[in-house]
Order: sequence, then structure tokens, then C-alpha cells
Amino acid sequence: MTTAYPHPQPEPEAPREPGADPAGVELAGGARPSEMVVDEPRRRLHPLSPLLSGAKSIVVIVAALSWQTLSQVGVERFALVVAVIAVGVVIFSVIGWLNTGYHVVGRELRIQDGLLWRRNRAIPLDRLQAVELRRPLLAQLTGLAELRLEVVGGGKTEAPLAYLTVREASALRQRLLALAGRTNGAPDPAARPADGAAALERPLFRVSNRDLLISQLLTPQAFLLPFGVAFVVMQFVLEGTWTFVGIASTVTAMAGVLMQPVRRVLQDWEFRLARDPDERLAVSYGLLETRSQIVPPHRVQSIGVTWPLLWRAKGWLHMRMDIAGYAGPQSNDDKRSDRLLPVGVFAAGRELVWEVLPGVDLATLATLPPPSRARWLHPIALRSFGAGLTPQVFVSRSGLLTRELTMVPYARLQSVRVVQGPLQRLLRLATVYGDTAGGRSGVAQDRDVAEAWWIAEQLSTRARQARGTTPQVPAPQIPALVPPHPVPRHPASAGPGLSHPEPDQPGAAGDDTYWRRPPRS
Amino acid sequence: MTEPSAPAPAPTDPLEPWPDTVDWRPVSRSLITVELINRAIWVVAILAGLTVGWVLTGHWSWPAGMAVVLVFAAWRSVVTVRAVKAWGYAERDNDLLVRHGLVIRRLSIVPYARMQFVDVTAGPLERAFRLATVQLHTAAAATDAKIPGLPPEEASRLRDRLTALGEDRAEGL
Repeated sequence: MTTAYPHPQPEPEAPREPGADPAGVELAGGARPSEMVVDEPRRRLHPLSPLLSGAKSIVVIVAALSWQTLSQVGVERFALVVAVIAVGVVIFSVIGWLNTGYHVVGRELRIQDGLLWRRNRAIPLDRLQAVELRRPLLAQLTGLAELRLEVVGGGKTEAPLAYLTVREASALRQRLLALAGRTNGAPDPAARPADGAAALERPLFRVSNRDLLISQLLTPQAFLLPFGVAFVVMQFVLEGTWTFVGIASTVTAMAGVLMQPVRRVLQDWEFRLARDPDERLAVSYGLLETRSQIVPPHRVQSIGVTWPLLWRAKGWLHMRMDIAGYAGPQSNDDKRSDRLLPVGVFAAGRELVWEVLPGVDLATLATLPPPSRARWLHPIALRSFGAGLTPQVFVSRSGLLTRELTMVPYARLQSVRVVQGPLQRLLRLATVYGDTAGGRSGVAQDRDVAEAWWIAEQLSTRARQARGTTPQVPAPQIPALVPPHPVPRHPASAGPGLSHPEPDQPGAAGDDTYWRRPPRS
Repeated sequence: MTEPSAPAPAPTDPLEPWPDTVDWRPVSRSLITVELINRAIWVVAILAGLTVGWVLTGHWSWPAGMAVVLVFAAWRSVVTVRAVKAWGYAERDNDLLVRHGLVIRRLSIVPYARMQFVDVTAGPLERAFRLATVQLHTAAAATDAKIPGLPPEEASRLRDRLTALGEDRAEGL
């Protein structure tokens, strides 16, 4: 259960109490004395966790063994193999559980885990992007929950705490969020009792399950399902072999492709959106696995709105919010917790956009299409492209059948890129990208070159203004183009000052001049 | 205000935007040599392989393949010379501009405040010609701000300046 990184420091002795770590005390220096829980004991996960995570691994193993194996070895031996694996997995999980612990030190959450390769990880809470409480089916039955923290920089979710009791998990979540959101001089929100907080949530929106069902019936997969079933039935009728294993494996194979709407329904069931007392967004959804996610609004990197073709008769759309730290766009769509609205009418979408990005009205986002000579590049879909700069967000839209719209707040822009391909150069066009930490970029496709530069300049200027706190005084004490220190000696003159061993490669004598940081004078 | 009806006075050369305010700096010409040597090594390796094939089989398609490789290498070399001259970077008060590419032209504008970390790298061939590559990373994976072919002094100056500016304007996401 522990994904141990190959950290070459195996510590055979029992885990120390890192509360006594002087570095931890040092880091907690910024916290108030009441928060300086230096001696907070290291806490364990819930004792049932190894069983639950073991069960998860067993499911994966059984799936890997597949129906084919079952038919080859017979049911009894199959059951025996599974039982042996199960015992092994549980024993391994128990040992892992004994070695796993977490505690809060100052403004950091520290997690120790790993069996052979021990890992001791500190998560600075001011970098926290979102906190999610997941309860898979087994955890729901046993009253447990998994707490997942999102921080930037990991390809996957870092530090899933699986499992805690629900009460413990939500209390810890409140505490972590309070620590994360606190700025210097602000009143201490952690003083409020955490348990009563849920009652004060202000509901914003809920999706009716009927709409969700209908919306997922209006998908290409659902339309294809009858054909798939007919194909399978035809095949068996023609071949005349009705073995259980044959049917089971065909159904399993089909489920992978065609069951996405079903998964969507199960995941987005009972979708509710609320604001917690500290004005953070609280999203909860799911049937077999419930997820409850809390996102501070300023952690939303961009909002995407999609109008699928088949939903157009209903006037429905769905929206996602990109949060830094969730895995990139290439990862499985179902694993991402980025729902802002699984299905809803335009008015609902407009209201939610206003809630997440105050002042942004979905109905008044004006965009202009590219110049008409871009028709050579997009003969049909030209009018569906568009880009616009509103006072707060960079808007771009695309897609003829499935229309999409992306909103990137200027304050969340990471960098701006202008790209011009050879065909675009012939037509005097260029494309402007506004990159965000959420993985998806706002794209102004095929603009006139002059306009593209104008957009790029505006984006960088507005991003700077929106960041606000940035001092406008340019580059205080560092001269722009003059080296701030004496130029390092030429390798030929490397004399007594540089006492590094001479590399045998000619010409590479001074190659550490740019690795070494010059002394600050 | 939603969209420009009349954009600002238009710079017409897409590689030279805002020419009055931006002071573009080129990368070192030694980068051409490095790139050419790099390519030459590859070409020699491929040609050696093709020669072995020719000696063993004697079929006419092997020398034809060699000719294609040579022509392609010559063409790429011409492109390389121009591409290195097209690389450029500029430090403005609040952001770093990097432009590169000939066939597909790219320009990146990266605010110093968004910098997460700076990489300075140099391969053996680059070190032999006293060159280094500086790359600026932000939280967005799509950010594309890489400056190859810098002399070590310039690389360390740039690194320190970027780091200092990033520290001054540090903030969360």
C-alpha cells in the first residue's frame, strides 16, 4: 500500500518522535504559541486501514488474473491462490500500517511511511491547493474515510491518508485548512470548533439525479450500447457456444469501453456545491465512492465550460475547474476531481461562475473570431473559434460540435506564449497561449499577428496588475545587464583561487564557474 | 472593454515585437559549432551502419540511403545556422522573453514572479565550448523558456538575477 520512493536512507531503528526534531521547532517559529504543538504525538491511521487497502489490492490482483485464468485452473485452485495472496497482502499492509504515522508540526503536515525505504515527508500547508475526503464503498460500510491533500509538483496526489474515521478526517481537514488559509495578522480561524462547521455551510447548487441520468443517456457511448449488445448476442447465436466464461469476458471487455456513462452517473450522484463558513468551495458527490472536496476559490486556476452536441436540445452544459496539483490532462478523466457542474442549464452555470470568479458573467463574455483569412486553416469551424479579454479573465472558445469555452483569470496566468507555424506565417496569423498551473491553457487560436502581440502584451500586463501585491518598482538593486559580481576567471588563468581538481577534459577546466553560486557581497 | 477594435501600432515582424522597448540579446555563435558537431557524430554513425550494410549486401539502395542522409544533414545544417541566430532572449523589468524557432516560431513571456526554479545544464560538448543552457520553470508544464548557448559568466549572471528577482516577488500560486 505504500508507494515508497527509492530514498537511499533505510533507517532500521524504530521511528523517532520527530516532534523533538529541532528543525521542526524552528519551522514552527511563525506560528502563534497556541499553535506550537511541538510535542504533538505521532498519530496512527485507523486500525482497519490495512484490511481495507488490502482488499483494494486483492481486487486489483483478481482482475489481473482475469477470467482466462479462472477457466484454466478451476474454481478451487483459483480460490486457493486468491486466499494465499490475500493473506500475504494483509500481512504486508499491517506492517506498512505499523510504520505509518502523521502529525502536524507548526504549519506543516508530516507523514512517515514506508517499510524498507522509509519516507519522511513534510507538506507545507500554505502550499495546499485542495483537500479531498474520499470514501470508497468499503470505507463507507466501516465508517472510514481517506484524506487526500493536493500540493503542486506531484504527478499524482501526494500524501493520501488512508484511512481515518470520518470524524477524525473532517476535523483534521478543518484544522489543515485553517492553518493553510491563515495569513499573518489575520484572526485565528482554528479557534472555532471544527465539528460545528459543517452545519454552517451555505448551499449553492445541487444537481438532480434525474438530470444526471438523462444527461448520461445522451452520450455517444449510451447511443452505441444497443449496437454493442446486439453484436455480442449475434456472435453467440451464430457460434452457438454459451459458456459462462465467454460471456463474462466479453461483458468485461465491453464494460471498459461502454460503461463510462454509468461510471459518470455513479461518480456524480448527489452532486452538491456549497460554500463553507470561510468562503471556500465545498463539493461533494458520488454514490459508491463519495468524494467531498474543499477548494479555496483562489486555488481555481481556470474554468472550462463544455456544451456537448447531444445535450444541446436540453440546453445543458458541464463545467470543470482546474486545480494545480491534480495530475495532468493525460491522466484518466475519471480520477480527476475537477467537477464544478456535471450537468446544468445555462443559468446555473452562470451563477456558479459568478460564485467562483466574482464579477465574471458567463452571459456577457464577448469573444471575437479570428480574421476571415484563417478560413484556409479552418474551412468549417472558423466561426467557432474566438478569444476575448474581459476585465478579469482571458476567454477563449473552440469546437463546432462540442463547444468549449475556457476562462483563465489573469491572476492565475503563469506564462504567455506566442507561436506561429509556417502556414500561419503565410497568412500573417499567430496563436497566443496563456499557460496555467492547472495543465490546460487558454488559447487564442489564429489571430492576426498584430492583434496576437497586442493580446500577449495585454495578458502579461494584466497578469502583473492582477497579481497586485507585486511591487511595481522594477528590479531594485540588481543592474539589468551588468554582471553583479566580477566575471569568473578564464579557465586558462585558473590559479590558486580555484582549488578544484583539474578535469582531464581539455577546455572544461572552468566548468564549475556557473555551478557555483558566487559569494554575496 | 472586451476586444481591441484597433490594436496598438503594429510591429510587422513577428520575431521583433515591441521593438522600442525590448533589447534582444543573441545566444553565442559557438552553439552553431556544437550543434553541427552533434549532428556530424550522428551522421557518421548512420553512414558507418549503412556502409556495413553495403559491404555485406552490395545492393544499390544502401549508397542511395547514404546520399539521402547526407543531403538531409546538409539541409539541417543550414537550418541550424539560421535557427541559432534566431534564438534570443530579453530581460524586461517584470518578465523574461525567449524567442526561438524558424519553421514554427515561438515566443515565451515568463514573469519573474512565476518562477519556480532555474536549471543550468551543460553537456560535455557544450562544456568543451564553454556554453551552458539556462531553463526557467514555472508551475505550468507548458511554459517553454529555455536559453541554450550562453557563456558560463552570462549563465550564472542570468541564474542569479532570475533567482533574486524570483525571491523578491515570491508568492504562492
